[in-house]
Amino acid sequence: MTEGFTLPTRFGAQSLGGCYAPETLMQPLLDLEAAFLAATIEPSFLAELKGELRHFVGRPTPLTSAPRLAAKVGLKALFLKREDLTHTGAHKINNALAQAILARRMGKAEIIAETGAGQHGVATASACARLGLACTVYMGVTDMARQAPNVARMRLFGAKVVPVAAGQGTLKEAVNEALRAWAGRCDRAHYILGSALGPHPFPTLVRSFQTVIGEEARAQVLEQADALPEVVIACAGGGSNGLGLLLPFLGDGLRRVAVEAGGHGAALGEHAARLDGGRVGVLHGCKTLLLQDECGHTAETASISAGLDYPALGPELAALILDGKVEVRRASDDEALSGARMLCETEGILPALESSHALALLAALAAEGAATVLLGLSGRGDKDLSTYQSRLGI
Amino acid sequence: MNPLLPFLMSGDPSLEALPGLLAETKALGLEAIELGLPHSDPIADGPVLQAAAHRAIQKGATPLRVLEALAGLTDSPDIVLFTYLNPLLQIGAARLKRLLAPTPVKALLVVDLPFGEEAAFEADLRSAGYPMVPLLAPTTTLARARRILADRPEPGTEAPFAQRFAYVVARLGVTGAGQGTDLEPVAQRLRDLQGLSGRPFAVGFGLSDFQSLEAIRAMGATPVIGSALVQELVEGRSLHQALSGRFVADA
Repeated sequence: MTEGFTLPTRFGAQSLGGCYAPETLMQPLLDLEAAFLAATIEPSFLAELKGELRHFVGRPTPLTSAPRLAAKVGLKALFLKREDLTHTGAHKINNALAQAILARRMGKAEIIAETGAGQHGVATASACARLGLACTVYMGVTDMARQAPNVARMRLFGAKVVPVAAGQGTLKEAVNEALRAWAGRCDRAHYILGSALGPHPFPTLVRSFQTVIGEEARAQVLEQADALPEVVIACAGGGSNGLGLLLPFLGDGLRRVAVEAGGHGAALGEHAARLDGGRVGVLHGCKTLLLQDECGHTAETASISAGLDYPALGPELAALILDGKVEVRRASDDEALSGARMLCETEGILPALESSHALALLAALAAEGAATVLLGLSGRGDKDLSTYQSRLGI
Repeated sequence: MNPLLPFLMSGDPSLEALPGLLAETKALGLEAIELGLPHSDPIADGPVLQAAAHRAIQKGATPLRVLEALAGLTDSPDIVLFTYLNPLLQIGAARLKRLLAPTPVKALLVVDLPFGEEAAFEADLRSAGYPMVPLLAPTTTLARARRILADRPEPGTEAPFAQRFAYVVARLGVTGAGQGTDLEPVAQRLRDLQGLSGRPFAVGFGLSDFQSLEAIRAMGATPVIGSALVQELVEGRSLHQALSGRFVADA
């Protein structure tokens, strides 16, 4: 184990996670863990975070009953945890804002972030504008094209968006470039990683700022339905949304399901389903389930959703899956599109393509005998309108 | 003292060219070379070495093919294999040791492997004669540097340079030349490190011109030249042209 850290750096029976970072970043990572530990027992930090989550982000987000969609897919009851209603429109703001406050406490004047779908980039840009921090976001060129509204939003919030042309031009390359940028500016910049991945302490940091989703949802469903649901389900790219919703239900006797991107085929390169064809490996500072070729090079991935095409699953979620505590399913591009359309038509809610992967599984859960489901609606679909228009022919 | 530690990316321009480049390096009187194993996600490398890795992968320079190309070579400097961890993990320690045995590889520089993260893997390779090169960055505190040097000790003063040296990263950031590395903090850092340990130090990141390389030598350390060398080879200079003006051989 790495010397110097206080918190556990590993997860599960296979010891996933860890801190596989270049030496230049080791002291910044040690400093970050120390600052995080100090902040989480510091009343002023906790009070500021709580206040900002309430008055800036709009927490608690509602838990919305969706009876018409439930009836359509054959469920008795369906509850949607509405992260789409947060300020900036996705769960990403919970973590981005918390880390930005932490960074300011650490005396960092500059923020670096990566983004895939752009939701983490928008959330970080917004938090930085609010706190008066300079912000640079690295984004793959493919993602910039398919999530153009989010690029414009980041720029309006004053962030510099740096296009990353390498490889497939998606989240993996954006993380590469953000890590490189941080190595060059780690004396003055903090890197706000957006998902529960990367070197320790990032997976733990991000998860701890996202479990507010599941904590609220659990209390809300008990209040509204007087019982826990039979299934809790969320989509999983890196895993910040999946862990955030599912982790607070870990002690409950119910099914916890994470949904991966099935893309448009079963071969390596046609999907981002890390449980099918992924092997344990190291990418971006952590050991986890990774889509890779036989020589340990990261494989290409495919998904209609820019937020779900990361080739690795965050280490803690991967460990929960391998240890049998979370089930994994996959939904294809087409199934996700159908899921989105169904929610639009039955409940008047436009989901993000990422969240639509979870919606796509509802009928299958009903067919398997589930009657009550709580679904994490991780984000809103405005950013995906052009994809919906072209793919659904509207 | 070893006057220069050059870096080449294996498979760039081709694996076929590799034996000739190694022989030429040895003929110049250089004792050791850093040889990059191309990786899909080189997070510590700047644009030049990223592009070199990409070209090499496109031409089929997989880790296994690189190691096969090195098997049986004797007309070569000692090789320090510069790599990211995942390809080595996927090969596995047992198979890796078999693949390394017939090659001139003497040590491994694994950019993303802090000591302790793969303790059994590292110990296994070390006992087979492949120690990991300790890395010391500008952010590494002196206390941490002392521990790193102790965690990854030199096998002995009679061991070759490739197995003894520690790599000092000259500046923040990624590999790449021409960014005007300030050498004053490097000099101070080296004095501190030389006070901690008598082992040789190599200094890399952002060094390319003769004056900077001379300055590092004057500090009693070996300069590393990577991106600038790789770029000059791409532009058509020969290895001899690119290296010969950058040092004067001891003998």
